Amino acid sequence: MPQIDDAALDYLLARGGLTANAEQRAGLKAAYEHVAAMAERVRKPRGRMAEPGLTYGFVEEDLA
Amino acid sequence: MSEVPTIAEAAKLIAAKQLSPVELTRACLERVKELDPALHAFVLRTEERALADARAAEAAVMAGKSVGPLCGIPIGLKDIVDTKGIATTCHSKILRDNVPDTDATCAVKLADAGTVLMGKTATHEFADGGPSFDLPWPPARNPWNTQHFTAGSSSGTGAGVAAGLILGGIGTDTGGSIRGPAALCGIAGIKPTYGLVSRAGVAPAAFTLDHIGPMAWTAEDCALMLQALAGHDPRDPASASRPIPNYTAQLGAGIKGMRVGVIHHFHEVDHKVSDGTQRGIDAAIASLRALGATISEVTLSPLAEWHACGTLISLTERAAAYEEWARTRLGDFSARVQQRLLLGSMVSGVDYVQAVRRRRELRAELQAAMAKLDVVLTAAQPAEAQKIDEVPEWDVGQKPSFTMPFNVAGYPAISVCSGFGEGGLPVAIQLVGKPFQEATVLRIADAFEKATPFRAHRPALSSDLVAAQ
Repeated sequence: MPQIDDAALDYLLARGGLTANAEQRAGLKAAYEHVAAMAERVRKPRGRMAEPGLTYGFVEEDLA
Repeated sequence: MSEVPTIAEAAKLIAAKQLSPVELTRACLERVKELDPALHAFVLRTEERALADARAAEAAVMAGKSVGPLCGIPIGLKDIVDTKGIATTCHSKILRDNVPDTDATCAVKLADAGTVLMGKTATHEFADGGPSFDLPWPPARNPWNTQHFTAGSSSGTGAGVAAGLILGGIGTDTGGSIRGPAALCGIAGIKPTYGLVSRAGVAPAAFTLDHIGPMAWTAEDCALMLQALAGHDPRDPASASRPIPNYTAQLGAGIKGMRVGVIHHFHEVDHKVSDGTQRGIDAAIASLRALGATISEVTLSPLAEWHACGTLISLTERAAAYEEWARTRLGDFSARVQQRLLLGSMVSGVDYVQAVRRRRELRAELQAAMAKLDVVLTAAQPAEAQKIDEVPEWDVGQKPSFTMPFNVAGYPAISVCSGFGEGGLPVAIQLVGKPFQEATVLRIADAFEKATPFRAHRPALSSDLVAAQ
């Protein structure tokens, strides 16, 4: 599982303009491992042309 | 009136002038008074409004006006739905004193249909993680056993319908918040196709995953409510503009020849469900086959792929929606929501976009898998409701959700009761249709409910029993 150290956690919180207490920091470090694993899971070799998908605008193929 | 009617039953009686909307409302108010101190289904009760609505409905009926099936039906609105002149708190200290000056579109539509507003129902704070015990109001309790969880976030609507405090209500669903409480409270709840029901005036959880929908005792009741709720709304930028079919027209027409695909690996491999839930699924498949449906197996990407995609989008969109308060009033959120907002702010922009690109791939996969099917079937929840004080603090990265895939895809999905587990609490199946094919989903769900005995069984509630639990 990817882990996050205190310096990286400080950076991410500061970037968001947020503060966290010691208990929250411990929880975030544990949960971040799962988030990083999920981010890895959605990272696929799809090339630069692959478009994002929102749920707006279902096309005819969806409705067939 | 000792028995709680369904919406469909009450509508027939009201139209025939055999049931007074005022008497029905008074009976529900009595149940609220007796039971809600233990259930906490309501954040706010609107007794005066309810009686005024009921009198207006009764006057319309007695005057011989043409009224629809929701006229005089007591309902609840999840407390993230804006109500003009009535507090809308999102179950949060942040909005404790918030009184909107306009109604959400779904509130307007239900009022126009003649419903009786009984109050604002409990939710997880801003429709996010729960249960929380550090909010101004306690979390809702499961009417089948008040020591147990309702699931969420539409917890109060789920508890209220199951307990017969209301006959139907509004839920919202970003990753399962209609279908989860419907499953654990033993009722029906449909998340419609993305864009079918307006989100205008409903507090956002995650913009591209949020859906508004009905929760009621039966699929038929959900169909009656959806008829009033569906339709284009220019106030919602994602609102679909499509003709609205008659959602009840095909109920009772049977399901012979309908094609059901079962995603066995979701609930048997990717996230193995409890024995009771599996028995409910197996029995449901047998029931659908006996009704004439054809059953086949469907294989999709593992559940964890869908869960990762939806969770990254959800965390990030929530963090964006609530960024200002997270920066300035973080301590006013519950501990659970604080953690989730902090975590959401840590997801990178690139990770978010990769998740949204993954979403397109996953939706294409579901579209292809359903090309020759009418619905797919899987679990709605992994097991019966757990004890409310044993719900883990974090649900991020834990076992993947059965409901999130269909928020990712935006496809319509319903949870209906499929029996009772070892602990005597409800278990459920989930039926998923193609976009805007709610009528098909409801037809199959209705046929299943009418072929099985589970709609005859309400929670055995009394004030003494509630006190004993």
